[in-house]
Amino acid sequence: MPIRKFHSVEEMTPLPDRRPFDPENLRIAIAWSRATLALRAVKPTPGVRKFRSYEEMKARS
Amino acid sequence: MELEEALRILAAFEREGVKYVLVGSMGMAVLGVIRATRDIAVFVAPDEDNVARLRRALASVFDDPSIDEITSTDLAGDYPAIQYAPPTGDFSIDLLARLGERFRFEELESQEVIVDGISVRVATPRMLYRMKRDTVRPQDKIDASVLRERFDLEDE
Repeated sequence: MPIRKFHSVEEMTPLPDRRPFDPENLRIAIAWSRATLALRAVKPTPGVRKFRSYEEMKARS
Repeated sequence: MELEEALRILAAFEREGVKYVLVGSMGMAVLGVIRATRDIAVFVAPDEDNVARLRRALASVFDDPSIDEITSTDLAGDYPAIQYAPPTGDFSIDLLARLGERFRFEELESQEVIVDGISVRVATPRMLYRMKRDTVRPQDKIDASVLRERFDLEDE
């Protein structure tokens, strides 16, 4: 992805939408996630944790 | 999270015949709505046979005895949300058997996409929208809004 430069945040235009179901989408998402995790590494506690709901899981992880 | 690791998990699901649907941020990503994430969220059928397949698939990727703690009894019963964090790596796998009282595996609409030769089953835009719209997490509300606009979805 080329570098885009702006004078202010307000000038920044969103990236163009990706085509749905393009196999490349998953690759981009994982690369992006890897870069984000490198900036703020939060390693989850290894193992299995059980929750009574999705909301509880997200609130506690 | 490494691409190869995520694909190894999805390939193992396919190899073992796990009945699953990719949801969450990874599901959104396949639909072209991309943001960073720390987890791979999948809906799974909570029956005994499928959860045994799921355990075999995970055990083929991770040498971790704690995988045996993932049971059909829990997923189909009091613990419909199970989070598995592998011994190595910086991500988790979120396993969901139901979402509230509205969404169960057998009711999910899904579609197949091939990534690097691996068949990946992912929730449809409408399905993901409905799931995210009805949860209380702010990020899910934002995701729902993006999906609604992107795919021109309407409330039912």
